[in-house]
Amino acid sequence: MNKTLNRRDFIKTTSAATIGVATVASGITLTTFASANKVPVTNEKRWGMLIDTNKLTEADIDGMVSACQQEQGWGSEVHSTGAQRPDWIKKLKVKDKATGKISNLALMCQHCEEPPCVDVCPTNASMKREDGIVLVDKHLCIGCRYCMMACPYDARSFVHETLSNQKEHMPRGKGTVEACTMCVHKVDKGEAPACVVSVNSDAVIFGDLYDASSQISQTLKTVQSTQIRADLNLNTGVRYSGI
Amino acid sequence: MNRLLVVFLSLLVGSVFAHTNEHANLGKQASSIKASGKVFHQSISIIRRMHPEFLHHKRDKTLRQGVRTDEYSLKGCVSCHANKNKTNNQYHSVDKKGQFCSDCHQQVGVSLDCFSCHRTTPKEGFL
Ligand code: HEC
Ligand code: HEC
Ligand code: HEC
Repeated sequence: MNKTLNRRDFIKTTSAATIGVATVASGITLTTFASANKVPVTNEKRWGMLIDTNKLTEADIDGMVSACQQEQGWGSEVHSTGAQRPDWIKKLKVKDKATGKISNLALMCQHCEEPPCVDVCPTNASMKREDGIVLVDKHLCIGCRYCMMACPYDARSFVHETLSNQKEHMPRGKGTVEACTMCVHKVDKGEAPACVVSVNSDAVIFGDLYDASSQISQTLKTVQSTQIRADLNLNTGVRYSGI
Repeated sequence: MNRLLVVFLSLLVGSVFAHTNEHANLGKQASSIKASGKVFHQSISIIRRMHPEFLHHKRDKTLRQGVRTDEYSLKGCVSCHANKNKTNNQYHSVDKKGQFCSDCHQQVGVSLDCFSCHRTTPKEGFL
Protein backbone atom coordinates (compact mmCIF):
# COMPACT_ATOMS: atom_id res chain seq x y z
CA MET A 1 0.00 0.00 0.00
CA ASN A 2 1.36 3.36 -1.03
CA LYS A 3 2.06 5.41 2.11
CA THR A 4 1.05 8.71 0.52
CA LEU A 5 -2.57 7.70 0.10
CA ASN A 6 -4.91 9.69 2.27
CA ARG A 7 -7.73 7.98 4.11
CA ARG A 8 -10.37 8.58 1.48
CA ASP A 9 -8.20 7.25 -1.36
CA PHE A 10 -7.44 4.27 0.79
CA ILE A 11 -11.10 3.56 1.26
CA LYS A 12 -11.78 4.04 -2.41
CA THR A 13 -9.05 1.73 -3.55
CA THR A 14 -9.48 -0.98 -1.00
CA SER A 15 -13.22 -1.16 -1.21
CA ALA A 16 -13.06 -1.56 -4.95
CA ALA A 17 -13.74 -5.21 -5.58
CA THR A 18 -10.69 -7.29 -6.21
CA ILE A 19 -11.54 -10.75 -7.36
CA GLY A 20 -8.32 -12.46 -6.55
CA VAL A 21 -7.06 -15.79 -5.51
CA ALA A 22 -5.64 -15.85 -2.04
CA THR A 23 -2.59 -17.96 -1.56
CA VAL A 24 -2.14 -19.58 1.78
CA ALA A 25 1.28 -19.88 3.30
CA SER A 26 1.60 -23.40 1.99
CA GLY A 27 1.12 -22.39 -1.60
CA ILE A 28 -2.25 -24.08 -1.68
CA THR A 29 -4.64 -21.75 -3.43
CA LEU A 30 -8.15 -21.31 -2.15
CA THR A 31 -10.32 -19.86 -4.86
CA THR A 32 -13.25 -19.72 -2.45
CA PHE A 33 -11.52 -16.89 -0.66
CA ALA A 34 -11.55 -14.47 -3.56
CA SER A 35 -11.21 -11.33 -1.51
CA ALA A 36 -13.65 -8.47 -1.59
CA ASN A 37 -14.66 -5.57 0.61
CA LYS A 38 -12.02 -4.93 3.26
CA VAL A 39 -13.46 -1.85 4.91
CA PRO A 40 -16.92 -1.14 6.36
CA VAL A 41 -19.45 0.10 3.84
CA THR A 42 -20.34 3.80 4.12
CA ASN A 43 -23.35 6.00 3.54
CA GLU A 44 -21.63 7.59 0.56
CA LYS A 45 -23.53 5.05 -1.50
CA ARG A 46 -27.14 3.98 -1.50
CA TRP A 47 -27.99 0.90 -3.47
CA GLY A 48 -31.25 0.90 -5.36
CA MET A 49 -33.19 -0.74 -8.12
CA LEU A 50 -35.51 0.57 -10.80
CA ILE A 51 -38.08 -1.81 -12.29
CA ASP A 52 -39.79 -0.79 -15.53
CA THR A 53 -43.10 -2.66 -15.53
CA ASN A 54 -43.74 -1.79 -19.17
CA LYS A 55 -40.60 -3.62 -20.28
CA LEU A 56 -40.73 -6.42 -17.70
CA THR A 57 -42.53 -9.49 -19.04
CA GLU A 58 -44.17 -12.16 -16.92
CA ALA A 59 -41.48 -14.57 -18.06
CA ASP A 60 -38.86 -12.08 -16.86
CA ILE A 61 -40.47 -12.06 -13.43
CA ASP A 62 -40.55 -15.85 -13.26
CA GLY A 63 -36.89 -15.79 -14.22
CA MET A 64 -36.13 -13.33 -11.43
CA VAL A 65 -37.89 -15.54 -8.89
CA SER A 66 -36.01 -18.65 -9.90
CA ALA A 67 -32.68 -16.80 -10.10
CA CYS A 68 -33.26 -15.67 -6.50
CA GLN A 69 -34.15 -19.18 -5.38
CA GLN A 70 -31.06 -20.60 -7.01
CA GLU A 71 -28.73 -17.95 -5.68
CA GLN A 72 -30.02 -17.97 -2.12
CA GLY A 73 -31.22 -21.54 -1.81
CA TRP A 74 -34.86 -21.07 -0.77
CA GLY A 75 -38.00 -22.58 -2.26
CA SER A 76 -37.49 -26.30 -1.67
CA GLU A 77 -38.90 -26.40 1.85
CA VAL A 78 -40.90 -29.62 1.97
CA HIS A 79 -42.45 -29.54 5.40
CA SER A 80 -43.93 -26.04 5.23
CA THR A 81 -47.48 -25.32 4.16
CA GLY A 82 -48.24 -22.82 1.41
CA ALA A 83 -48.44 -19.80 3.65
CA GLN A 84 -45.36 -20.84 5.59
CA ARG A 85 -43.12 -21.19 2.57
CA PRO A 86 -40.47 -18.52 2.12
CA ASP A 87 -41.16 -15.91 -0.50
CA TRP A 88 -38.25 -13.55 -0.96
CA ILE A 89 -39.54 -12.17 -4.24
CA LYS A 90 -42.94 -12.59 -5.81
CA LYS A 91 -44.90 -11.84 -8.93
CA LEU A 92 -47.71 -9.39 -8.39
CA LYS A 93 -50.50 -8.32 -10.73
CA VAL A 94 -51.84 -4.85 -10.11
CA LYS A 95 -54.87 -3.39 -11.81
CA ASP A 96 -55.68 0.26 -12.14
CA LYS A 97 -59.38 0.29 -11.22
CA ALA A 98 -60.06 3.43 -13.23
CA THR A 99 -58.47 2.39 -16.51
CA GLY A 100 -58.34 -1.39 -16.19
CA LYS A 101 -54.62 -1.38 -17.00
CA ILE A 102 -52.90 -4.45 -15.62
CA SER A 103 -49.21 -4.40 -14.72
CA ASN A 104 -47.02 -7.25 -13.54
CA LEU A 105 -44.38 -6.46 -11.06
CA ALA A 106 -41.71 -8.18 -9.05
CA LEU A 107 -42.07 -7.34 -5.37
CA MET A 108 -39.37 -7.92 -2.80
CA CYS A 109 -37.91 -6.04 0.16
CA GLN A 110 -38.03 -2.39 -0.90
CA HIS A 111 -34.96 -1.47 1.16
CA CYS A 112 -36.61 1.54 2.75
CA GLU A 113 -34.61 4.45 4.05
CA GLU A 114 -37.01 4.52 7.03
CA PRO A 115 -37.71 0.81 7.45
CA PRO A 116 -40.65 -0.04 9.74
CA CYS A 117 -39.14 -3.51 10.29
CA VAL A 118 -36.09 -1.91 11.89
CA ASP A 119 -38.22 0.32 14.12
CA VAL A 120 -40.11 -2.57 15.65
CA CYS A 121 -37.29 -5.06 16.14
CA PRO A 122 -36.67 -5.69 19.86
CA THR A 123 -33.14 -7.09 19.41
CA ASN A 124 -31.60 -4.90 16.73
CA ALA A 125 -31.53 -7.89 14.39
CA SER A 126 -33.56 -6.07 11.77
CA MET A 127 -31.09 -3.52 10.49
CA LYS A 128 -30.11 -1.17 7.70
CA ARG A 129 -26.54 -1.15 6.48
CA GLU A 130 -24.87 2.19 5.94
CA ASP A 131 -25.30 1.75 2.20
CA GLY A 132 -29.07 1.36 2.52
CA ILE A 133 -29.42 -2.42 2.28
CA VAL A 134 -31.96 -3.69 4.82
CA LEU A 135 -31.06 -7.04 6.37
CA VAL A 136 -31.90 -9.45 9.16
CA ASP A 137 -28.90 -10.14 11.37
CA LYS A 138 -29.98 -13.71 12.02
CA HIS A 139 -27.42 -13.99 14.81
CA LEU A 140 -29.62 -11.66 16.83
CA CYS A 141 -33.02 -12.72 15.50
CA ILE A 142 -35.26 -14.34 18.10
CA GLY A 143 -38.02 -15.16 15.63
CA CYS A 144 -40.68 -12.87 17.11
CA ARG A 145 -41.84 -11.82 13.62
CA TYR A 146 -42.82 -8.28 14.58
CA CYS A 147 -40.92 -7.13 11.49
CA MET A 148 -43.07 -9.31 9.28
CA MET A 149 -46.16 -7.64 10.63
CA ALA A 150 -44.68 -4.17 10.33
CA CYS A 151 -43.62 -4.56 6.69
CA PRO A 152 -46.17 -2.95 4.35
CA TYR A 153 -44.86 -5.06 1.45
CA ASP A 154 -45.16 -8.49 3.08
CA ALA A 155 -41.56 -8.95 2.02
CA ARG A 156 -40.25 -11.08 4.85
CA SER A 157 -40.53 -14.82 5.50
CA PHE A 158 -40.03 -17.04 8.50
CA VAL A 159 -38.24 -20.37 8.30
CA HIS A 160 -40.56 -23.03 9.70
CA GLU A 161 -38.44 -26.13 9.29
CA THR A 162 -34.98 -27.54 9.84
CA LEU A 163 -32.78 -27.04 6.81
CA SER A 164 -29.53 -28.54 5.58
CA ASN A 165 -27.11 -28.10 2.71
CA GLN A 166 -27.57 -24.33 2.65
CA LYS A 167 -25.61 -22.11 0.28
CA GLU A 168 -22.24 -21.22 1.74
CA HIS A 169 -22.92 -17.50 1.41
CA MET A 170 -26.51 -17.70 2.67
CA PRO A 171 -26.84 -19.42 6.03
CA ARG A 172 -30.53 -20.03 6.78
CA GLY A 173 -32.17 -21.79 9.68
CA LYS A 174 -35.39 -22.61 11.44
CA GLY A 175 -36.82 -19.98 13.74
CA THR A 176 -35.44 -16.87 12.10
CA VAL A 177 -36.79 -14.28 9.67
CA GLU A 178 -35.31 -13.77 6.23
CA ALA A 179 -35.83 -11.63 3.15
CA CYS A 180 -34.21 -10.25 0.02
CA THR A 181 -30.65 -9.15 0.87
CA MET A 182 -30.21 -7.36 -2.44
CA CYS A 183 -27.60 -10.12 -2.86
CA VAL A 184 -25.35 -8.26 -0.47
CA HIS A 185 -22.70 -10.99 -0.82
CA LYS A 186 -22.46 -10.19 -4.53
CA VAL A 187 -22.80 -6.43 -4.17
CA ASP A 188 -19.83 -6.43 -1.78
CA LYS A 189 -17.80 -8.04 -4.55
CA GLY A 190 -18.89 -5.43 -7.07
CA GLU A 191 -21.50 -7.63 -8.74
CA ALA A 192 -25.21 -7.02 -9.35
CA PRO A 193 -28.01 -8.97 -7.61
CA ALA A 194 -28.98 -12.31 -9.16
CA CYS A 195 -32.49 -11.20 -10.18
CA VAL A 196 -31.14 -8.15 -12.00
CA VAL A 197 -28.62 -10.26 -13.88
CA SER A 198 -31.33 -12.74 -14.90
CA VAL A 199 -33.27 -10.14 -16.90
CA ASN A 200 -31.93 -9.69 -20.41
CA SER A 201 -33.37 -6.25 -21.12
CA ASP A 202 -32.84 -3.05 -19.16
CA ALA A 203 -36.22 -3.57 -17.47
CA VAL A 204 -34.41 -3.83 -14.14
CA ILE A 205 -31.55 -1.47 -13.34
CA PHE A 206 -29.38 -1.75 -10.25
CA GLY A 207 -27.00 0.90 -9.01
CA ASP A 208 -25.98 3.66 -6.65
CA LEU A 209 -28.76 6.20 -6.14
CA TYR A 210 -26.28 8.76 -4.77
CA ASP A 211 -24.01 8.60 -7.81
CA ALA A 212 -25.44 11.17 -10.24
CA SER A 213 -23.68 9.54 -13.17
CA SER A 214 -24.93 6.01 -12.53
CA GLN A 215 -27.39 4.52 -15.02
CA ILE A 216 -30.08 4.27 -12.36
CA SER A 217 -29.78 7.95 -11.35
CA GLN A 218 -29.72 9.05 -14.97
CA THR A 219 -32.83 7.04 -15.75
CA LEU A 220 -34.67 8.19 -12.64
CA LYS A 221 -33.98 11.75 -13.75
CA THR A 222 -35.70 11.24 -17.11
CA VAL A 223 -38.58 8.82 -16.56
CA GLN A 224 -41.66 8.99 -14.37
CA SER A 225 -41.17 6.59 -11.47
CA THR A 226 -42.94 5.84 -8.24
CA GLN A 227 -42.56 4.09 -4.92
CA ILE A 228 -45.13 1.53 -3.92
CA ARG A 229 -47.14 2.98 -1.02
CA ALA A 230 -45.34 6.30 -1.47
CA ASP A 231 -47.88 7.68 1.01
CA LEU A 232 -45.97 5.99 3.83
CA ASN A 233 -42.89 8.17 3.21
CA LEU A 234 -40.49 5.27 3.62
CA ASN A 235 -38.26 6.42 0.76
CA THR A 236 -37.76 3.00 -0.76
CA GLY A 237 -34.60 1.93 -2.55
CA VAL A 238 -36.64 -0.07 -5.06
CA ARG A 239 -38.54 2.13 -7.50
CA TYR A 240 -41.01 1.31 -10.26
CA SER A 241 -41.85 2.97 -13.54
CA GLY A 242 -44.81 2.26 -15.78
CA ILE A 243 -47.38 1.90 -13.02
CA MET B 1 5.25 -45.03 45.47
CA ASN B 2 7.33 -42.31 43.84
CA ARG B 3 8.03 -44.55 40.91
CA LEU B 4 4.33 -45.16 40.53
CA LEU B 5 3.68 -41.45 40.57
CA VAL B 6 6.26 -40.90 37.84
CA VAL B 7 4.71 -43.58 35.72
CA PHE B 8 1.28 -42.11 36.32
CA LEU B 9 2.42 -38.58 35.57
CA SER B 10 4.25 -39.53 32.42
CA LEU B 11 1.20 -41.40 31.23
CA LEU B 12 -0.90 -38.34 31.93
CA VAL B 13 1.50 -35.98 30.22
CA GLY B 14 1.83 -38.45 27.38
CA SER B 15 -1.88 -38.55 26.84
CA VAL B 16 -2.13 -34.78 26.94
CA PHE B 17 0.55 -34.49 24.29
CA ALA B 18 -1.05 -37.27 22.34
CA HIS B 19 -4.20 -35.23 22.28
CA THR B 20 -2.65 -31.88 21.61
CA ASN B 21 -0.41 -32.99 18.79
CA GLU B 22 -2.47 -35.58 17.02
CA HIS B 23 -5.54 -34.49 15.21
CA ALA B 24 -6.35 -37.43 13.00
CA ASN B 25 -9.37 -35.50 11.79
CA LEU B 26 -7.76 -32.11 11.22
CA GLY B 27 -9.48 -31.84 7.85
CA LYS B 28 -8.48 -32.41 4.25
CA GLN B 29 -6.97 -29.01 3.46
CA ALA B 30 -5.63 -28.44 6.94
CA SER B 31 -3.91 -31.84 6.99
CA SER B 32 -2.14 -31.23 3.72
CA ILE B 33 -1.04 -27.80 4.90
CA LYS B 34 0.31 -29.30 8.09
CA ALA B 35 1.97 -32.16 6.20
CA SER B 36 3.74 -29.67 3.97
CA GLY B 37 5.24 -28.17 7.12
CA LYS B 38 3.62 -24.77 6.69
CA VAL B 39 1.76 -22.86 9.37
CA PHE B 40 -1.59 -21.26 8.92
CA HIS B 41 -2.61 -20.12 12.38
CA GLN B 42 0.18 -18.01 13.82
CA SER B 43 -0.25 -19.68 17.16
CA ILE B 44 -2.11 -22.88 17.92
CA SER B 45 -2.76 -21.90 21.51
CA ILE B 46 -4.30 -18.59 20.43
CA ILE B 47 -6.63 -20.11 17.87
CA ARG B 48 -7.63 -22.80 20.36
CA ARG B 49 -8.45 -20.29 23.02
CA MET B 50 -9.65 -17.30 21.07
CA HIS B 51 -11.59 -18.70 18.11
CA PRO B 52 -15.03 -18.03 19.65
CA GLU B 53 -14.15 -14.32 20.04
CA PHE B 54 -12.62 -14.13 16.57
CA LEU B 55 -15.69 -15.69 15.02
CA HIS B 56 -18.14 -13.50 16.91
CA HIS B 57 -16.22 -10.39 15.96
CA LYS B 58 -15.97 -11.45 12.36
CA ARG B 59 -19.64 -12.23 12.00
CA ASP B 60 -20.65 -8.71 13.08
CA LYS B 61 -18.05 -7.16 10.82
CA THR B 62 -19.26 -9.13 7.83
CA LEU B 63 -22.99 -9.03 8.31
CA ARG B 64 -23.44 -5.53 9.68
CA GLN B 65 -20.57 -3.70 7.99
CA GLY B 66 -19.95 -5.68 4.84
CA VAL B 67 -16.30 -6.46 5.58
CA ARG B 68 -15.59 -9.61 3.63
CA THR B 69 -12.02 -10.62 4.31
CA ASP B 70 -10.91 -14.23 4.65
CA GLU B 71 -9.51 -13.90 8.13
CA TYR B 72 -11.55 -15.83 10.70
CA SER B 73 -14.32 -16.45 8.22
CA LEU B 74 -16.51 -19.35 9.26
CA LYS B 75 -16.64 -20.47 5.64
CA GLY B 76 -12.85 -20.67 5.83
CA CYS B 77 -12.83 -22.86 8.94
CA VAL B 78 -15.23 -25.25 7.25
CA SER B 79 -13.37 -25.36 3.92
CA CYS B 80 -10.08 -26.18 5.59
CA HIS B 81 -11.18 -28.39 8.45
CA ALA B 82 -13.74 -30.62 6.71
CA ASN B 83 -12.71 -34.24 6.18
CA LYS B 84 -13.48 -36.33 3.15
CA ASN B 85 -15.03 -39.77 3.33
CA LYS B 86 -12.52 -41.85 1.37
CA THR B 87 -15.05 -44.37 0.09
CA ASN B 88 -17.64 -42.09 -1.45
CA ASN B 89 -15.46 -38.99 -1.85
CA GLN B 90 -18.03 -36.82 -0.04
CA TYR B 91 -17.21 -34.33 2.70
CA HIS B 92 -18.23 -35.06 6.28
CA SER B 93 -20.07 -32.27 8.08
CA VAL B 94 -17.65 -30.49 10.41
CA ASP B 95 -20.21 -30.67 13.19
CA LYS B 96 -20.88 -34.40 12.87
CA LYS B 97 -19.77 -36.65 15.72
CA GLY B 98 -16.04 -37.25 15.65
CA GLN B 99 -15.29 -34.47 13.18
CA PHE B 100 -12.86 -31.63 13.79
CA CYS B 101 -15.07 -28.96 15.38
CA SER B 102 -17.48 -31.26 17.21
CA ASP B 103 -14.88 -33.69 18.50
CA CYS B 104 -13.18 -31.09 20.62
CA HIS B 105 -16.39 -29.33 21.57
CA GLN B 106 -17.82 -32.56 22.85
CA GLN B 107 -14.78 -33.09 25.03
CA VAL B 108 -15.03 -29.64 26.53
CA GLY B 109 -18.82 -29.70 26.72
CA VAL B 110 -19.65 -26.88 24.31
CA SER B 111 -22.56 -27.02 21.91
CA LEU B 112 -22.98 -24.65 18.98
CA ASP B 113 -26.04 -23.54 17.08
CA CYS B 114 -24.02 -22.05 14.21
CA PHE B 115 -24.49 -25.04 11.97
CA SER B 116 -28.26 -24.96 12.01
CA CYS B 117 -27.80 -22.16 9.47
CA HIS B 118 -24.20 -22.30 8.27
CA ARG B 119 -23.17 -24.83 5.69
CA THR B 120 -21.20 -27.66 7.29
CA THR B 121 -19.20 -28.75 4.25
CA PRO B 122 -17.11 -26.78 1.75
CA LYS B 123 -19.24 -25.22 -0.96
CA GLU B 124 -20.45 -27.21 -3.95
CA GLY B 125 -17.70 -27.93 -6.42
CA PHE B 126 -14.91 -27.40 -3.87
CA LEU B 127 -12.22 -30.00 -4.60
C1 HEC C 1 -30.10 -18.19 12.15
C2 HEC C 1 -29.05 -18.41 11.20
C3 HEC C 1 -27.61 -18.25 11.66
C4 HEC C 1 -27.01 -18.83 12.77
C5 HEC C 1 -27.64 -19.75 13.82
C6 HEC C 1 -25.64 -18.41 12.76
N1 HEC C 1 -25.40 -17.62 11.66
FE1 HEC C 1 -23.64 -16.75 11.16
N2 HEC C 1 -24.49 -15.91 9.52
C7 HEC C 1 -25.81 -16.01 9.18
C8 HEC C 1 -26.07 -15.17 8.03
C9 HEC C 1 -27.41 -14.98 7.33
C10 HEC C 1 -24.84 -14.56 7.68
C11 HEC C 1 -24.57 -13.56 6.54
C12 HEC C 1 -23.91 -14.20 5.37
C13 HEC C 1 -23.45 -13.18 4.35
O1 HEC C 1 -23.91 -12.05 4.31
O2 HEC C 1 -22.55 -13.55 3.60
C14 HEC C 1 -23.87 -15.06 8.64
C15 HEC C 1 -22.54 -14.71 8.61
C16 HEC C 1 -21.60 -15.14 9.54
C17 HEC C 1 -20.19 -14.84 9.47
C18 HEC C 1 -19.51 -14.05 8.38
C19 HEC C 1 -19.39 -14.91 7.11
C20 HEC C 1 -18.35 -16.00 7.24
O3 HEC C 1 -18.58 -17.13 6.75
O4 HEC C 1 -17.31 -15.73 7.82
C21 HEC C 1 -19.60 -15.43 10.56
C22 HEC C 1 -18.13 -15.40 10.95
C23 HEC C 1 -20.64 -16.10 11.30
N3 HEC C 1 -21.84 -15.92 10.65
C24 HEC C 1 -20.43 -16.80 12.46
C25 HEC C 1 -21.42 -17.49 13.13
C26 HEC C 1 -21.18 -18.22 14.36
C27 HEC C 1 -19.84 -18.35 15.06
C28 HEC C 1 -22.37 -18.77 14.72
C29 HEC C 1 -22.66 -19.64 15.96
C30 HEC C 1 -22.29 -19.06 17.22
C31 HEC C 1 -23.36 -18.38 13.73
N4 HEC C 1 -22.75 -17.59 12.78
C32 HEC C 1 -24.71 -18.76 13.72
C33 HEC C 1 -26.77 -16.78 9.80
C34 HEC C 1 -26.58 -17.50 10.97
C1 HEC D 1 -6.18 -22.43 5.29
C2 HEC D 1 -6.58 -23.51 6.14
C3 HEC D 1 -7.17 -23.21 7.52
C4 HEC D 1 -8.22 -22.39 7.81
C5 HEC D 1 -8.98 -21.45 6.88
C6 HEC D 1 -8.47 -22.55 9.22
N1 HEC D 1 -7.58 -23.44 9.76
FE1 HEC D 1 -7.53 -24.09 11.68
N2 HEC D 1 -5.85 -25.16 11.30
C7 HEC D 1 -5.25 -25.27 10.06
C8 HEC D 1 -4.07 -26.09 10.19
C9 HEC D 1 -3.08 -26.45 9.06
C10 HEC D 1 -3.99 -26.48 11.55
C11 HEC D 1 -2.95 -27.39 12.20
C12 HEC D 1 -1.86 -26.56 12.79
C13 HEC D 1 -0.85 -27.44 13.47
O1 HEC D 1 -1.26 -28.39 14.16
O2 HEC D 1 0.33 -27.14 13.30
C14 HEC D 1 -5.12 -25.88 12.22
C15 HEC D 1 -5.40 -26.00 13.58
C16 HEC D 1 -6.51 -25.48 14.20
C17 HEC D 1 -6.83 -25.64 15.60
C18 HEC D 1 -5.98 -26.37 16.62
C19 HEC D 1 -6.30 -27.82 16.63
C20 HEC D 1 -5.55 -28.54 17.72
O3 HEC D 1 -6.11 -28.64 18.79
O4 HEC D 1 -4.44 -28.97 17.45
C21 HEC D 1 -8.01 -25.01 15.83
C22 HEC D 1 -8.78 -24.92 17.15
C23 HEC D 1 -8.43 -24.42 14.58
N3 HEC D 1 -7.48 -24.75 13.62
C24 HEC D 1 -9.59 -23.70 14.41
C25 HEC D 1 -9.90 -23.00 13.27
C26 HEC D 1 -11.00 -22.09 13.17
C27 HEC D 1 -11.99 -21.81 14.27
C28 HEC D 1 -10.96 -21.58 11.92
C29 HEC D 1 -11.87 -20.51 11.31
C30 HEC D 1 -11.85 -19.23 11.98
C31 HEC D 1 -9.84 -22.18 11.22
N4 HEC D 1 -9.21 -23.03 12.08
C32 HEC D 1 -9.48 -21.90 9.90
C33 HEC D 1 -5.68 -24.73 8.87
C34 HEC D 1 -6.75 -23.86 8.74
C1 HEC E 1 -9.03 -27.74 20.49
C2 HEC E 1 -10.44 -27.77 20.79
C3 HEC E 1 -11.40 -27.04 19.83
C4 HEC E 1 -11.51 -27.17 18.48
C5 HEC E 1 -10.71 -28.07 17.57
C6 HEC E 1 -12.57 -26.29 18.08
N1 HEC E 1 -13.08 -25.64 19.18
FE1 HEC E 1 -14.56 -24.24 19.17
N2 HEC E 1 -14.48 -24.11 21.19
C7 HEC E 1 -13.58 -24.77 22.00
C8 HEC E 1 -13.80 -24.38 23.38
C9 HEC E 1 -12.97 -24.86 24.58
C10 HEC E 1 -14.86 -23.46 23.37
C11 HEC E 1 -15.51 -22.74 24.58
C12 HEC E 1 -14.73 -21.51 24.86
C13 HEC E 1 -15.37 -20.67 25.92
O1 HEC E 1 -16.49 -20.98 26.35
O2 HEC E 1 -14.73 -19.69 26.29
C14 HEC E 1 -15.27 -23.32 21.99
C15 HEC E 1 -16.29 -22.48 21.57
C16 HEC E 1 -16.61 -22.25 20.24
C17 HEC E 1 -17.58 -21.29 19.80
C18 HEC E 1 -18.43 -20.38 20.67
C19 HEC E 1 -19.69 -21.10 21.07
C20 HEC E 1 -20.87 -20.18 21.18
O3 HEC E 1 -21.96 -20.67 21.55
O4 HEC E 1 -20.75 -18.99 20.88
C21 HEC E 1 -17.61 -21.35 18.44
C22 HEC E 1 -18.47 -20.51 17.51
C23 HEC E 1 -16.64 -22.36 18.03
N3 HEC E 1 -16.06 -22.89 19.16
C24 HEC E 1 -16.41 -22.70 16.71
C25 HEC E 1 -15.52 -23.69 16.32
C26 HEC E 1 -15.37 -24.15 14.97
C27 HEC E 1 -16.14 -23.62 13.78
C28 HEC E 1 -14.43 -25.13 14.98
C29 HEC E 1 -13.92 -25.97 13.82
C30 HEC E 1 -13.30 -25.23 12.73
C31 HEC E 1 -13.96 -25.26 16.35
N4 HEC E 1 -14.67 -24.37 17.13
C32 HEC E 1 -12.99 -26.15 16.78
C33 HEC E 1 -12.62 -25.68 21.59
C34 HEC E 1 -12.39 -26.08 20.28
